[in-house]
Parts: sequence; structure tokens; C-alpha cells
Amino acid sequence: MKKRVTRRELLTMLAATGTSAAVLNASTALGMIPDTSLNLPEIPRADPVNRPSIVILGAGISGLTAAYELDKAGYDCVVLEAAPRAGGRCMTVRHGDLIDEVGNPQICDFDDDPHMYFNAGPARIPSSHRNLMHYCRTLGVELEIFINENKECYYQDDAMFNGKPIKNRTFTTNARGFMAEIMAKNFSNDELERPFDQYEAEALISAMRSFGDLDANMLYKGSFRDGYAKGGYIEHGEQRDMVALHELLKSRFMNSALSANEGETGPVLFQPVGGMDKIVEGFTRELRNKIYYDVVVTSVELRGDNVAVEYEHDGIKYLVEADYCFNCIPTHLMTGIKNNFPADYLEAMHHVRRGEAYKSAFQTKTRFWEKDDIYGGITWTNQPIRQIWYPPHGMFKEKGVILAAYDFGGGMHFTRLSQEERLETAIRQGEKVHPDYRQQVEKGITIAWHRMNHMLGCAARWSSSFGGMSAAEERLYHTLQAPAGGRHYTIGDQVSLHTAWQESAILSAHWAIEDMVNRMGGTSSMPGRRI
Amino acid sequence: MKNRAIKGMVCAGLLISCVANAQQYGEVVTGNQSLANKICVTCHGATGKGNPVVGAPRLAGIEPWYLRNQLIAFRSDYRGTQKDYIPGFEMQDSVARLSDEEIEALVAYVDIWQTEENPPSISGDANRGSELYLLCAACHGVNGEGNEVLAAPGLTQKDDWYLFRQLKLFQSGYRGAHSDDQIGQQMRTGIGSLETEQDINDVLSYINSLN
Repeated sequence: MKKRVTRRELLTMLAATGTSAAVLNASTALGMIPDTSLNLPEIPRADPVNRPSIVILGAGISGLTAAYELDKAGYDCVVLEAAPRAGGRCMTVRHGDLIDEVGNPQICDFDDDPHMYFNAGPARIPSSHRNLMHYCRTLGVELEIFINENKECYYQDDAMFNGKPIKNRTFTTNARGFMAEIMAKNFSNDELERPFDQYEAEALISAMRSFGDLDANMLYKGSFRDGYAKGGYIEHGEQRDMVALHELLKSRFMNSALSANEGETGPVLFQPVGGMDKIVEGFTRELRNKIYYDVVVTSVELRGDNVAVEYEHDGIKYLVEADYCFNCIPTHLMTGIKNNFPADYLEAMHHVRRGEAYKSAFQTKTRFWEKDDIYGGITWTNQPIRQIWYPPHGMFKEKGVILAAYDFGGGMHFTRLSQEERLETAIRQGEKVHPDYRQQVEKGITIAWHRMNHMLGCAARWSSSFGGMSAAEERLYHTLQAPAGGRHYTIGDQVSLHTAWQESAILSAHWAIEDMVNRMGGTSSMPGRRI
Repeated sequence: MKNRAIKGMVCAGLLISCVANAQQYGEVVTGNQSLANKICVTCHGATGKGNPVVGAPRLAGIEPWYLRNQLIAFRSDYRGTQKDYIPGFEMQDSVARLSDEEIEALVAYVDIWQTEENPPSISGDANRGSELYLLCAACHGVNGEGNEVLAAPGLTQKDDWYLFRQLKLFQSGYRGAHSDDQIGQQMRTGIGSLETEQDINDVLSYINSLN
């Protein structure tokens, strides 16, 4: 029999947890929001007689940001992109699109309908990401609400309730109730009352009662917050039974269910109407003749007074010489391209590890989730698929596109499987949440970012431990952030402390632009040079 | 992205049928650069200089017959089937569906890349390594020049980090264990004289000195 823990022991454990939590990198572990005040670079207008030239390698979000801002200020910009499309990991997949995984190319066969798309890379825009929001506003990208948490979605854990899924509302209502009751019971101890006066104590007790929906005796006996078992409108409502705390404690979701939707994944989140790549379209519309596709960069050479970039296109070699280079090619691919970067700069590039995120999606024959009161939101499971996302758009239409797996890191589980195995695994695991899943889904696609051509990785990983960057890693980070030879900037979310977000890619580009402007020294926006 | 993606595929001369999972890269001509760009250069670099960060060896300067043998070995499941060795299974997946003609096209294309020297990364006792190398020399040549007749590749044009990794793979049975892989088995038998990591470092230091 398992050893039962006394209330006092539990409190001790809680205190211990608090201590170790404080040691963790708080901003990541607790999902807090980094400061992202709107930080647009101030760029003096370029001298129209001697326009500084900028070569931008990669049309990812950071490259597009740099090109857009510098082009607007009158700089002579070109963007060289290896793929036949812009956006990098900002990628929306629709009918007929190629998913260019090395060794496993797929053509998406979703129905050709505007709402039938899948955001294979970033899919959420937190309202706090002010710089990205600024570009959406400026570029005319229409946004709609994205629903991250939906109390009608499920938690499914093989360890809990024999693997039977329970609604998010059932999990969170009961978890809060039990936690509030435990807090309230302990609060009545003299030693815990001491720091508060009577008014404060009453306020705190009232907050606990409200937090867990406790009864007048400060006991949790279930809550209407979990919905009515029946009635509630014309007839008196019947409350659902509370679930067993011991069942909830079997699941690791006890650690995350109450905080999964705080900080950057808390309300309010947005998505562009029609797909995340509407942002890319916004940028490319402004940069119409500046972006060159299907370009293979073969060499980047730092020279004293410029940067020389060699590339191939259609079997012909070309050379571009520019005053400055902004490079968002993933560091782990840049190390395979001929260059003369300084040793410490290369050491930093070699240190960064490739992210491994994986997503897959199905078209569905019906919007079966709507019959289950689900409109948007995320179901969590302890299986390798981790999550199922229901589209917040296309409500009431016949079909939809559902996210069938999102392994957001650390796992090569799906990447190692064949296409058929990936889809079958997703179906089998989805069936544990929705029994008729197999009958509902069709035309599956998979995106293993570790294998995607021209990228070979998802968000960069700088730290080799959960404790955050070591001092040596911090040094490497700043080495890579500073321009090599004073003229070559590595940019992208890969050169940020908060990788995986488009906001970070944008801020990285802004940082590099500001640094370049400072190095150029002149704030004069008059043509010609001073004599 | 739709129009661009399709246009790009047409540009690359690929015939991908409109099914959810295209199986073939389609028709190619000898020395086809588009095919190399599609499946080689992202990992091995645009000039074939190799990229240790993604575990991709240098291809510039590789013997065409050795490259052909390895592509066939990957396609035949002699190499890259162990899912816990990521660079191997990535390579296996990338080339598993290539036809004989496509393999010839890639071998011809890679052959035009100029040999590039990468700096050595391994330090060991080259004197001790020279004694250990005596057994290697029987197949790979006294100067590490290789021997096509014995299917033994040249060693001096290979990066030491890559040789280190391959020796470890032979030691652990990830290479040379398949019952049909006679060339691999031959090497796996021969590696018996290298027992420790120090042995490997020493022999690679000696091979570096042959350059």
C-alpha cells in the first residue's frame, strides 16, 4: 500500500516545491511574459546618392522584418531565400501545398476551402507581442481570436481514471476545490493566522472559498462550475459528482492544468484570418521585387569593408557584395556553408542545438467536436501526441482541420516513424480521447521540423540544462549576437533568449538594425557626405 | 504559398504526383543539381564541405565509387536503420527511395565539388597510432589512399570527426552487421584491433599526419 502523507507533511512538500521552483528559470517555468514593449528601430533615412546595400539571407520572419524596415528607410536591400516560398517556419499548409520534408515530401490534399488550412509552425499570437501586433496592424493582416483554453476540451492520462478522458472543467474545478480546502484547513492553525489581522484573514479565507467554491464549512463537495449533470434552467440543476482527488494526483497534469493558460498562452491570443502566413504575405507584398527564391548560398565572406555572398540559382553562380549582411539561415546550416567567420563566432554557431518540434493534422469529415460543445481550444494527453487542437475558425461548417499531434520539444518520437506509422499512431492515440476518431479523420499531414528542407530544425536550443544558460553559454550568445567583422548579423529567434516566437525573431532583427545604425555613426539624413 | 510551392517544384524538374505522400523524386538527368539541392545540400552544405553540427560528412572529394556504395548501403538498409542514431536514419530516409539512375546522377554531381580541407579536430598519439595503423594499411593503403578493388575508401580526404564516429558505429555494430553487407562486415572484422577510444584517437591522429 502506498504511504499516505499527512497534511503537515504535504505542507512541507509544498514548501520544498516552492524552493525548487524559485531556482528554476522563472520566466520559462512559470510562463511569465517577458517585457516586449514596442521597440521599432529608429533608422535615419538612407543617403539616396550612396545608398548602403544590405544582403539578407533567408526570408524568415526576422529577414522579412529587416528587409521591410531597411527598405522603407531607403536602403538597397535584396533577400536571398533557399526555398521557393518565404516565411521560414511561419508556414500555413493548404490544398496542393508541398511539405518539403527531406526523404518524405508530401502534397497536402485538404479540401480547397479558405478555412481548411493548418498552421504548421507558429499558430498563436499573444496580445502582449506588441511588435508582431504592430506589423499585423501596419501590413493589414486581419486577426481573429485564437482559443487556447476551453473548459469543454479534455484531459486524458493513462494513469488517471483508467485512461478515460475527463473534461478540462472537471479537472480544474475539482483540483481547485481540493486545493482550496487544504489551504483553508491549514489556515485555521494558529501559527498560520499570526501574520494576518482579522480583516486580512477574512479576506484570505473568502478568496480561498471562492477559489475552490467551498461550502460554508470550508469543505469542497463538488461545484456547479463543472456544469450541471442535468437541469439548471427551467428545473433545478443537479450538480455533478466530485471526482476523487487521488485520481487527479495520479496525473502529471496536476502540475500544469491550472497554469497551462497563463502568461504567453493566456488570454488574449490571436490568429490571422485565413492562416499565419498572411503575415508573410503582408511583408512580401511590400517587398515585391526584393526577394529572390530558389537561391542556394554557397559562401559568406567577411571582407574589411563589405560582405561577399556567393550563391547559385538555376545552375549559375552569382556574387553579391553588400555593405552589411543580415543572416537568418539556421546556425546549424550556416556551419555547412563556406565562410570565414571568427573562431568564437563559429564556436557559438556550433553550440546551438536544433529544435525537434513535430506537428501533424487531419482533415475531418465532420466537425465532431462541436457536438461535444467544443469550439476551439486544446485537449491535453500524456500520450506522445500531447495535444489535440480544435480550430477556432470555420464554426458550423461541414469539415475542419484538426491538429492531431504537437510534440513541442525533446521528442523525436514521431520524426523517427514512417509517414504511415506517424498517422496511424496519431489516430490510435486520438481514439483514446474521441472514440470515433478513426472514422472522422482523413488526409493526414505531418511536419517534422527536424527534417524540413532548408531548415532542419525547429526553435534553437541554447541551454543544455533546464536551469537556464550557463555563463559560457551566455558568452556564446552575446558573441553570436554581435556582428561578425562588424558587418554580418546573425538574426532570427535563434538569437534571442526566448526562442520559438515570431516576436523574438522581430526583436532580433530590430536589435541588429539599431546596432548597425549606431555603428554607421551618422544620424545625418542629408544626401552625400560631409565635407 | 501554394503557387510558389508548385512553381518551385516545376522549376526543379520534379514529377511529384498529387497524392498525400509522394514516393518518387521523378525523372532526373545525369549530374542533376536540382536533385542534389533537394536532398543533399541542406545537410552536407552547398559546396559539400560537410557539417558536423548536423552530423553530415564532407562530400567534396569523396570517391564516386565509395559514395555510390554508401548510397546503395543506405537504400538496402545496411546503414541507418537504428532509430537512436539520428544522422544515420535521417540519411537513410533521405535516400531510401532513390532509383539507380538518381544515385548515378547524384554521384556525378557531387564529383564536381572541389576538395576542401577542414581543420583536424582530434588529438592523440600519432606515433602509437602509426603502429595501430599497420592493420588498416592492408586495405586502406600505406598512405591512406584507399583501394577501390577492396572497396576500402581513402581516409585522408575524410574529416576526422566523421571517421571517429564511423569507427564507433562499426564497433557497436551499427555498421557492418547486416548479413548481406559483405563490405561492411569486412571492415567490422578488421576494426577488432582498435579496442579503446584512445586507440581510435591515436590512429586518427596518425591519419591526420598523412595529409
